[in-house]
Amino acid sequence: MRFVLTIVAVLWCSAAIAVAGSPKNYGKALTLKETTKVSEILADPAKYNGKKVRVEGAVVEVCKKRGCWITLSSDKEFESIQFKVDDGVIVFPLDAKGKNAVAEGIVSAKTYSAEDLIKQGEHKAEEQGTTFDPSTVKGPKTVVRIMGEGAVIK
Amino acid sequence: MAVDRTASPSPPRKVKWRKWNNILHRDIGYLVVALTLVYGVSGIAVNHTADWNPSYAVEKRALEIGPLAGETRDELVREARERLRLTDEPANTFRPDPETLQLFYTRLTYSIDIPTGKVLVEEVRPRRVLFEFNQLHLNAPKRVWTYIADLYAASLIVVAITGMFVLKGKTGITGRGAWLVGLGLAIPLLYWLVYMYLP
Repeated sequence: MRFVLTIVAVLWCSAAIAVAGSPKNYGKALTLKETTKVSEILADPAKYNGKKVRVEGAVVEVCKKRGCWITLSSDKEFESIQFKVDDGVIVFPLDAKGKNAVAEGIVSAKTYSAEDLIKQGEHKAEEQGTTFDPSTVKGPKTVVRIMGEGAVIK
Repeated sequence: MAVDRTASPSPPRKVKWRKWNNILHRDIGYLVVALTLVYGVSGIAVNHTADWNPSYAVEKRALEIGPLAGETRDELVREARERLRLTDEPANTFRPDPETLQLFYTRLTYSIDIPTGKVLVEEVRPRRVLFEFNQLHLNAPKRVWTYIADLYAASLIVVAITGMFVLKGKTGITGRGAWLVGLGLAIPLLYWLVYMYLP
């Protein structure tokens, strides 16, 4: 019995150590060689809408409920872009926050009404355990996201 | 050696299928105990993701370090680290807006409101045991684990099918067993019908 427990403990610890340090792949393998700057996508969303891009940035936010999105920092100050994945297909861990990511997906630039933006803001605040002030929403806005296919976080 | 062809043939050997059924049920049952506990416990935890994060606990605390005067990001980071007494370089830094500076360390995020110096410290900790259970249940390791999980699922199917034929008689599948199997089938079937066809 002691032998079995020792084997189980050794396997468990080895798995934990192996998983801890290495870069982790999420979803499909990355295929694009060229990286597009997040600032370029945000500056001209129409140009990139519907196109597949590879971006790089620090993970500055992670969905706290389902791990179904991350936010990547831009190469420019005060800018970031959401990298959204289908629920359950990819689950980003909360401790990815602060790490560097390379991610690939399809750019989606969609204009939402103020009403929709308020609903989205309230939903996100509930998910993240934060507050949301609806008065910050001023009319319709184009939201640029990347519909994620795969990512490597290191 | 002479063979007596006039003797009547011996009756066909009766296959003791129930004996083998029960052996399979018992031994595969033993094999899947550990993973059934892992998947069961994780299943309950993951079912309630609307209410909590089943893999991580997030602890928040507030600090005050006074307004920051730096103008560039580097100056602000240096000032914040001094006041927070953080000797290590952060893994990353970010400014989501002109009034906020974020410092990222392993599992620790400092969000600093530059004009007021209010700091929100967020610490993310994997939940003991549940984290590992959920990783396996949600197939985070991928690769070989996918096949182990498939094998486990197939084993559960064998355990379920052989389980119906362990006993014979009025407590077996021709008696009480039939009612209980029917009830077990009716619950998901009714739920699915209600879910699909009722407004």
